[in-house]
Amino acid sequence: MKELKELKKIEKFADQCMKCGFCTFFCPVYQEDRVETAVARGKNYLTKLVLKGEQEFTPEMGEIIGKCLLCKRCVVNCPAKAQIDRVVVGARAQMVKDKGLPWIKNFAFRKVMSNRKAFGRYVKLASKFQWIFPKGEGNIRHLPDFLKALGQGRHIPEIAKTFLRDQVKEVNKPQTGGQPKMRVGYFMGCATDFIYPDIGLKVIDFLTKRGIEVVVPKEQNCCGAAIYFSGDMETGRAMATDNIKAFKDIDYILTACGTCSSTLKDYKVYLPDNEEQQKAYDEFAKKVKDITEFVVDVLKLTPEDLKLRKEFEGKTATWHDPCHLVRYQNIKDQPRQILKSLKGLKYVEMPNADLCCGMGGSFSVYHYDITKKIADKKMDGIKATGADIVVTACPGCMINLIDNAARHKMPQRVHHILELVE
Amino acid sequence: MIKESIVSEFKKIVGEENVLTSKEALKAYSYDGTTSWIHEPDVVVFPTSTKEVAAIVTLANTEKVPLTPRGGGTNVSGGSVPIKGGIVLCTTKMNKILKIDKENLTVTVEPGVVLMDLTMRLAKEGLFFPPDPQSFLGATMGGILAENAGGPACVKYGVTKQYVLGMEVVLPTGQVVNLGGRTIKNVVGYDLTMLFVSSEGTLGVITKAELKVNPLPLAKKTIMAVYDDVAIAGESVFRVLENGVIPDKIELLDNWVINRIEEMMPMGLPKEADAVLLFETDGIPEAVEKETEKIVEITKKYGARDVRVAKDQAEADKYWLARRAGFAAVFGKAPTVLAEDVTVPRGQIPNLIKRCKELAKKYNVEIVVLGHAGDGNLHPSIMSDEKNKELHARALKAMDEIIEGAVEFGGVLSGEHGIGLEKAKFFRRVMEPAVIDLMKGIKALVDPNNIMNPGKIWE
Repeated sequence: MKELKELKKIEKFADQCMKCGFCTFFCPVYQEDRVETAVARGKNYLTKLVLKGEQEFTPEMGEIIGKCLLCKRCVVNCPAKAQIDRVVVGARAQMVKDKGLPWIKNFAFRKVMSNRKAFGRYVKLASKFQWIFPKGEGNIRHLPDFLKALGQGRHIPEIAKTFLRDQVKEVNKPQTGGQPKMRVGYFMGCATDFIYPDIGLKVIDFLTKRGIEVVVPKEQNCCGAAIYFSGDMETGRAMATDNIKAFKDIDYILTACGTCSSTLKDYKVYLPDNEEQQKAYDEFAKKVKDITEFVVDVLKLTPEDLKLRKEFEGKTATWHDPCHLVRYQNIKDQPRQILKSLKGLKYVEMPNADLCCGMGGSFSVYHYDITKKIADKKMDGIKATGADIVVTACPGCMINLIDNAARHKMPQRVHHILELVE
Repeated sequence: MIKESIVSEFKKIVGEENVLTSKEALKAYSYDGTTSWIHEPDVVVFPTSTKEVAAIVTLANTEKVPLTPRGGGTNVSGGSVPIKGGIVLCTTKMNKILKIDKENLTVTVEPGVVLMDLTMRLAKEGLFFPPDPQSFLGATMGGILAENAGGPACVKYGVTKQYVLGMEVVLPTGQVVNLGGRTIKNVVGYDLTMLFVSSEGTLGVITKAELKVNPLPLAKKTIMAVYDDVAIAGESVFRVLENGVIPDKIELLDNWVINRIEEMMPMGLPKEADAVLLFETDGIPEAVEKETEKIVEITKKYGARDVRVAKDQAEADKYWLARRAGFAAVFGKAPTVLAEDVTVPRGQIPNLIKRCKELAKKYNVEIVVLGHAGDGNLHPSIMSDEKNKELHARALKAMDEIIEGAVEFGGVLSGEHGIGLEKAKFFRRVMEPAVIDLMKGIKALVDPNNIMNPGKIWE
């Protein structure tokens, strides 16, 4: 039998499932497909068969294991506390080890390649993403994703004219003058860097206004979520090494992207291959804070410290829980506390606020039809609130929420939580 | 292997996307909620209408291919495992709630509706469907009917069969029949609906059901009674009932379960207690208050060491969360868990619990007791490991004797899980041969080619 190093690591998690099937109720993908291979129980069972040598990693298995949002709804609701996210990531890692990337079939690849206009736009875009990838790898890992996203009638966010990294200084002194009361590192994340640089500028402005010095190390890399959740653990570890090095002498590492904050914290969960790495990732995780938790738990800002920006006065806001905040980090109360403390803003809770928006990183690229159906439910929840604005703290969710709100011709605007604050 | 021509015919009936034949998909339809019953089908078909179900069944009957109906696959009897291969007819895409009739307090559902979805939808109308199998998050109505599912709330409200008014069934020959009706009273000939409510999918495919629902109770209260002796807790159950209070739920957790729950999520359950009973009363607020007082009085009188009334819904939720976690606590603690579903007349609960304790000693196995004490339906669970042959042999012997004990005390071997594959060997042992013959006769009449979920109950 083949050596199944990556799978062996998650065997104990796969054994936790007792096949009760409760996950069917919570899985956004199963709720659309209603087929057993879509849900945690099926994926887990098939992975166990691979471990037993009764199933191979066929292309069909690639499809099945690939078709998961990693939203962790099944995990947090599992009566046996089975960590299916570990099983799915472990299975992907084993596939990458056995077969290399990409193990997901590139069905839309050709479709986009044949569209000259889309392809041209893409190449321009792809050239800007080159830096993410380790030199000498020869291929661009995000490439199929972006190709597929085009040509599916999707509202693709515009790429920023100037990336955030080209707009910010490495050291940003407090606007208040004098000695900084704290020195923090800011981790941008790709979506903020390339698509929403204004969010990044806002983060720096927000913190420096409050007497904090913000360091933005130039050597910081992509967080690696799209990479290691796809099973490329080796590249994931290389990125972790880069980021740990970039933020070496800093007490707090802040990010305004829910996916980035959870990914940086979870190097320790998904990536370690030996004790030394485990120790390094554990140490690194301690320093990472999502901006919402930093504002509430560390800075302990009071309503007096937070002022609503004028353009939002009198508006009604609702909060969308990004999976990577609410389930990966249990950050649920902090953003609500911020929104509720903003004088002049009315807050309403949306039904199913913690339901995944359907994005799931590259999931939405490969399974855009399901993404749309899941997002329909999210949009129904938003509509039911009558809110003027949808607030969240993950640029990934923002891309998907904006796309789907536009598709539904909804008046609601989508904002990052920091955009609301002076 | 199934003939290629049958598969392509299915694709014509339900569409390419609703027929699965990949070996991965077949493996994913080889199991249910049990540990050890596994068998792959040759094809999985997802119909979306009665017409499609009838066409699929007709073809299966003509070709004499076994067909196993399946919904959410949460059952714990092996009932939806296609043990003879052939076709799995999966109803999960027939999941529409067709009608809610508030005037007549009825609801019309397709078989693939998940109970929790129904519960949420009904709640918006101020209604509820009382039977509450604890698999409600995944269990579908077709299976709930075919298994005559129960749950904690059955003490007061009864089991599924009390809520079935009528149904549409596709018989194994492919013929569509309508049974029962829409009224509570209906004595027009044999009550054939009851035949299908317990058929475990062996007599046909339920494609539509007309169900009775109740208005949601206005108030609820939860009472926790703590005992130094699990047998005394068992006695409290019938003492409360004989004193004129019928709570909607009476659940029992033994010392082992209490401690596992506290390990998993500390919530202040009394760790030294031999057993805990959870009572819930529901109804009009004034009545709920009075019933609560009465329960406190009776349980104290009959030996409860401590009785607590949940001060608010949050505290009540905590206790019920613990009860639900009990299930995970048991199943997560041993590689193989033999979960019993024996049910005895309520007065015999103390005897059954004593017997379990004796057997645990006799066979040197861990036997945990939790369950729906209010209706005598206990789930004694034996911790085992299939890979440890010697231990497993002892565990199986203990299970045999628990079942013998239950029958000796005037009970039955399954209260709510059904026979399926899991209990088939006991079924033959405890049923009168003449009764088994009668059942087989009915089966032969309805399903002459024995295609519908073959290999179950008595085989």
